[in-house]
Amino acid sequence: MELSNKSSKGKMIASGIIPFVFLVIMMAYIFGPGADLLDLGIPLPEITMEKVDFVDSEIQVIVRNTGPIPVEVAMADINDRIQPAAVEPDRYLNRYETALVRIPFEWNEAEPYIIGITIEDGTRFEKEIEAAAPALEPTLELAAFFAIIGTYVGIIPVMIGLLWLPFIKKISKQKYHFFLALTAGLLLFLGIDSIEEAIEVSEENLAGSFNGVLLVATVITFSFLGLYYTGEKLVSKAGSSRFTKPVAIALMIAIGIGLHNFGEGLAIGAAVGLGSIAFSTFLIVGFALHNTTEGIAIAAPMSRGKTMIGKLAALGLIAGAPAIFGGWVGGFVYSPFTSVIFLSIGAGAIFQVIITILKWIREEGDKNLSSAAVASGFAIGMLVMYLTSIFV
Amino acid sequence: MKSRSGIMLIFLVAIATVSVFYTALPEGINAQQEEKTFVTHTGAVVTTTGEVLDPLYTSATVEFDPMEYLRDFNYGRVSQLSDGTTVREFTIIANDDEIMEVSPGIFFNVWTFNGTVPGPTIRATEGDIVRVKFINNGEKEHTMHFHGIHPAGMDGVFEPVGGNGGQFVYEFEAGPVGVHPYHCHVMPLEEHIVRGLYGVFIVDPKEERPPADEMVMVLNGLDMDFDGENNFYAANTIPFYYQHHPIQINTDELIRVYVVNMVEFDPINNLHLHGNLYNYYPTGTDIVPSAYTDMITLSQTERGIMEFEYEYPGKYLFHAHKVEFSEKGWVGIFLVNENENAVESKEYGT
Repeated sequence: MELSNKSSKGKMIASGIIPFVFLVIMMAYIFGPGADLLDLGIPLPEITMEKVDFVDSEIQVIVRNTGPIPVEVAMADINDRIQPAAVEPDRYLNRYETALVRIPFEWNEAEPYIIGITIEDGTRFEKEIEAAAPALEPTLELAAFFAIIGTYVGIIPVMIGLLWLPFIKKISKQKYHFFLALTAGLLLFLGIDSIEEAIEVSEENLAGSFNGVLLVATVITFSFLGLYYTGEKLVSKAGSSRFTKPVAIALMIAIGIGLHNFGEGLAIGAAVGLGSIAFSTFLIVGFALHNTTEGIAIAAPMSRGKTMIGKLAALGLIAGAPAIFGGWVGGFVYSPFTSVIFLSIGAGAIFQVIITILKWIREEGDKNLSSAAVASGFAIGMLVMYLTSIFV
Repeated sequence: MKSRSGIMLIFLVAIATVSVFYTALPEGINAQQEEKTFVTHTGAVVTTTGEVLDPLYTSATVEFDPMEYLRDFNYGRVSQLSDGTTVREFTIIANDDEIMEVSPGIFFNVWTFNGTVPGPTIRATEGDIVRVKFINNGEKEHTMHFHGIHPAGMDGVFEPVGGNGGQFVYEFEAGPVGVHPYHCHVMPLEEHIVRGLYGVFIVDPKEERPPADEMVMVLNGLDMDFDGENNFYAANTIPFYYQHHPIQINTDELIRVYVVNMVEFDPINNLHLHGNLYNYYPTGTDIVPSAYTDMITLSQTERGIMEFEYEYPGKYLFHAHKVEFSEKGWVGIFLVNENENAVESKEYGT
């Protein structure tokens, strides 16, 4: 009996390993050294100008080799006119390696520039800057400025939204479900908005080799799964007490919104950093208006618990304060890659929250998601967001 | 359970943190290198630990030497017919697989006559028999089409010469007097010209022109990315070369420049001389100058002869006054030295 058990276990292991061995052999055959089976075309070099800084009498460009083969940076130009330049640490870039190209140039503030980099085979890559602005120095003053902007955009509107709490508390179960569904609708809109933004940033600033859309999808899935798992644990632990469960859900909503607001902060910081004054003002006003609805999203689940001003304020801070951090990151250390990552994490978090809310409505509402209140709430949530988004 | 979710969260945060630092600070930590300072041609001073990207100030080992090309005139292998007519025989080999460093660090697949862009400057006297043995070692068909007067079968248009050793002998009487281009005339013509299959053919008058310091300047452009626009412009191919290596001439010495515009894509090119004016002979067919100017404008394959003397020593710029071209390489300097052979003191009207 024991013997046959052992042999069957051996067989099982062997049967698991044998296909794997064949897989390795196949991969070695196709991709291994000396394999020429997949020599299907000519690899084209590619570089991406990830960041352009306008400093004192100099334009500085961070260049990354985003193609499949090593490249050499050979020449720099401004507006298609060849300029002497320096490249640090050296001109040779392996895959994904970066270099700093420093081009002495008496640039004028607020004017557009096209920066060109030519590599050894003569291929020229360019990046357009809409308006030159001095690179932001991370001063205390500027940090404070971003903190104030972040407070106006993130914290205050969310807090204002939270003021609807007493109202939501007094309404019937049907209407309450309406507001929960409304929250889900608001969030769905934000989620789609984040994805759109992430894809846009990746298309405009990230090299093709990052597979922008797939990067966004992967990060969304990651953050969704990660937060879903932790969220479930949080709610199931909180489930023992009826009063803390709404807090747990509100907390998740706040975290999801917080990540989204971080993305908004990034956008504002980057816009200020790039010197687009009109655009950044527009973003600030738009986001501020938009974000009051996020307060409702947090208030809705909280209305079924005991009102705890302290907790409510903390949730408001969790949701709103990331706008400040976003502003700092966007203004001082902006990189398109990080903003794509953060926007995607935010989208994943939001979808996780939507699922949780819907689950909760279903549990509360006698396993029913198809009531008029839920449908209309969801639809109106989307609509409200769409209308306020027109201002952004 | 709690620890698992904790691990998952930490995992996520770690990934996010690493990606933030990786992308936010892409310069990373570089080993300390020696700092060097360089002055750009715009006067800016840059101190860097890295490398200098400068088509001007880097000492490049370009394979093609524009300075040598400048005054290199190929008179051919000379023999005489029984009636005393001079025969000049040339061998020109076409190729289309050469990779040349056209500017420091930038490599381009040029198509060449005798291995250079432009091809050799062929020179004959009016009435000479010019016999060009043309060998095509390229992969594509090529020809030589000479501007000037010659029989139809010698025109290099309807007689394509096959690659990998194809041959043809062009033979005609040199004329008319002047400076003419020659170039490949195989379709797609623009590509064959832009990649470098052209050169200069000078026909001297039987009665020689006055002695001078003679040079040839082929104004050309290179389209590196095949978008129908030139990325570089130059006199004699290498951008900024004569700015980096000024052309040495003497005061009170007649300078004669044979200028040929071979720029494609752009409708015009031009040549402006600083601190001086020149006598200009369009196409070089006339002995009387048509203009005394510091600025001529040339369409495709328009050409002419410029004659001038400098009175004062020093550095003088010459460049396309289409400034885009000069900022992409078509700019140079005459370094005028005091002429030691000149008369010490000039005498003014006695």
